[in-house]
Amino acid sequence: MIVDALSVRGLSRNFGNLVVLDDVSFTLAPGRIAVVLGPNGSGKTTLLRCVVGADRPDAGEVLVQGRRADETDPQVRALVAAALDDIDFFPDLSVVEHLELVAYAHGGNAEPVEEVLAELGLEPARDQLPVTLSSGQRRRLALASCFVRPRRVLILDEPEQRLDVRGRQWLADRLRRERDAGTAVLLASHDPELIDAVVDERIEIGR
Amino acid sequence: MTAPPATIADPTAGVPTARQLRTHLRRARSRHHDHSLSDVLGDAYVMVLFVGMYGWFAISASRDMLDSPTVGQAEPGVRWWLAVAALLAGAGLTWRGLRALGPLLVTPATQSWATSAPVDRRAWLAPRFVLLLLGAAVGTAALGVAVAALGGVSDPAALGWAAAAGAGWGAAALALSVVAQSSRAGRRWPTVAGAVPMVAAAVLTTVVVLVGHLGDGLPRPATTPTVALFALAVPLAGLGTILAVRALPRVDRATLTTGAQFANAAATATILLDPSLLASLVESRRWRRIGRVRSHRFLPGPGWWALLQADVRRLRRHPSALLIWAALIGVQYAAALALPGLAGAAQVVFAYLAANRLTGGLRSISRSAGLRRALGGSDALLRGIHVVVPAVGAGLWWLLTLPTVDPGPASLAPTLALGVVLAVFRAGTRPPIDYGGATVNTPFGMIPIDLLRQGSRGPALLAVLVLVQLFLG
Repeated sequence: MIVDALSVRGLSRNFGNLVVLDDVSFTLAPGRIAVVLGPNGSGKTTLLRCVVGADRPDAGEVLVQGRRADETDPQVRALVAAALDDIDFFPDLSVVEHLELVAYAHGGNAEPVEEVLAELGLEPARDQLPVTLSSGQRRRLALASCFVRPRRVLILDEPEQRLDVRGRQWLADRLRRERDAGTAVLLASHDPELIDAVVDERIEIGR
Repeated sequence: MTAPPATIADPTAGVPTARQLRTHLRRARSRHHDHSLSDVLGDAYVMVLFVGMYGWFAISASRDMLDSPTVGQAEPGVRWWLAVAALLAGAGLTWRGLRALGPLLVTPATQSWATSAPVDRRAWLAPRFVLLLLGAAVGTAALGVAVAALGGVSDPAALGWAAAAGAGWGAAALALSVVAQSSRAGRRWPTVAGAVPMVAAAVLTTVVVLVGHLGDGLPRPATTPTVALFALAVPLAGLGTILAVRALPRVDRATLTTGAQFANAAATATILLDPSLLASLVESRRWRRIGRVRSHRFLPGPGWWALLQADVRRLRRHPSALLIWAALIGVQYAAALALPGLAGAAQVVFAYLAANRLTGGLRSISRSAGLRRALGGSDALLRGIHVVVPAVGAGLWWLLTLPTVDPGPASLAPTLALGVVLAVFRAGTRPPIDYGGATVNTPFGMIPIDLLRQGSRGPALLAVLVLVQLFLG
C-alpha cells in the first residue's frame, strides 16, 4: 500500500470570528503536484502555513507520510521543505553560506550547493550579502534553500512571484523533476501557465 | 544531483547536534564582523553599571520623596496594601508580556535557515532557556530589593530575603511561561494565570480605596512575609523548571517566531525612539484577534457625523481601551490615598493616559496622508472631528476623579483638563519621525535632540501641566 505523502484532514483556522479555513481536507500521493486555488483572501497562504507548522490550526490535522505533522518532530522537519513568504536572511552571511548552512543543518554537505546556485542563476551573486540582492534574487535564494536538502514534501507559496520569464521556465522544469523523483509538491499559485504545465491536482478553497 | 533521493530511510541521519550547528553558524557569521565576546561583556558591564547606579539613585530619591511632607502622610496600611496590589498588577502584566514575547524565540532568519532543520529542539533552546531563567531570577531579585528598600527596609538580611523571594518568583514565572508556550492552542490556564493577579489587584485596590474613604483604612501586617513568599516560590520555581525542560521539545515554530516579531518591533522602536512601531504591531494583532465585525450603515447626516460615528464604533470594538480608561479612575483614587500630596499631579498624568487610550482614530488619520486624501476635507477638520471622543473621555474622566483632589483656584481644573486634551491631541497627531534632524555632541555621547523633541510631542506639554499643578494646586 502506498502511503500518502501528505494528508490534510478537516483543517480549520479562524481569526477571531472570521473563518479563514473551514474543514479543508485533501491527500497528495508521492510524485504528485497539487495547486491550491482560490480568490484573494480565501486562505491559501494560511493553509500552507498550517501545513508546515508556521501557524496553528484551530481544528484538524496534517499527516506527512502517515505521521502526524507536528513541526516539533525532527522527522517531519526532515521530510518537509518549504519556501513561504516569511523567509528571512542573516544580514552577515553570503548567499552561498546560507545554502551551505541549510545543507549542513540537514546532515548533508556543500556538494549540491554549487549546482543549485548554477541552476538558479545565483552564481554571480554567490558572495553577496542578502541586503544587496534584488527581490527576484532573494526569491531564488529562498527556493534554493529547498533544493540543497533532502525532502519528500515540498511546500511553495506563489513560487513564481518575482521570477522573470526564464526563471518561470526553470521553475516548471524543476517541479517536473521533483515529481519524477517522487516528491509531493503542494503550491499556491496565480500563474495559469505554470499550473497548466505542471499541476496534477487542483484543490479549491474559499468558494 | 540535486533531486531528492527516492527514499529517505532515516530522515534525521547525519544531522548535526544543536551545539555543532550553533558553532557552525557562529563561525560563519563571525567571519564577516569582529564583534568579540569581550565587546559583548564590555557592553553588558556598562549596562549593568548604569542600571545599578541610576536604579539605586531612583530608589533613594523615591524613598526620600515618599517620606517628604510634600507627598503627605498616608495611613500606614494604605501604602502597604496598594504596593501589594501594584505588585500583583505588575505580575499580571509581566506574565502577559512573557506570553507575547514567547518567552523563547528565534529570529526569522534562524528559523528559516537553522531551526527548520531536524536539529534537536530541546538542545537548541536549552541555552536560551537557561539564560532567560538566570536573567529573570537576577532581574526580579533586584526588583525585590528595590521594593523592600522603597518600603523602608534597610536590614541586609531582610533585603536578602526580599531578593531571594523575588528571584524565586521570577524564575517560577519564566519557567511556567515556557510551559505555557509549549502547550497546545486553546488551553485556558495560561490566560487564567495572567488574569488572576490582575483581578486580585483590582479587587484589592477597590477594597483599600473603599475602606480608606469610608473607614479607618486596612491595618498594615506586623511583618512582611518575604520568607513565606520565598518558601512558596522555591518549589514552584523547581517544579516549573522541570516542567519547562520537559516542554522544550514541544515549543513550536509558530510561537517561536511570533514572539520574535514582537521583540524585533520593540527593539526597532527603542533604537529609533519611535514607540508607534511597536504600537502598530500590537494594534494589528488586536484587530486580527477580532477578525470579523458586524457592519452597520452610518446614520444619515453630514460627512463629519459619519466620521464621528466611525470613531465611536472603533471604540466599541476595542473595549479594552475603555476598560483601561475606567481602571485608571480606580488608580487615581488609590494614588490620592497613598500619595495625598501628589494627587493633583497624578490626576493630570492619569487623565492623559486615560484619554490617550481613546485616540485610535486620531492616530490612524494622522499617520496616513492617503487615508486623509480618501476621506476628503481639510486635515484640520479631520483632526478636529477625531479629537471629540478623546476630549469627551478626558472631560468625563476628570469629572469622575474631582473628589480625589483639592479644588485649588477656580480656573485651575478647567485649564488643566483642557491642557490634557491638548497634550493628547499633540501626541495623537505626531507625524512620522524624521531622522534627519540635529544631534548634539555631549560628554555622554551624541544626543539626538531633534528626535527627542519629536518624541516628546505631547508628553512635554504634560510635564508643563504637572509643574503648573504642583505650583498652583
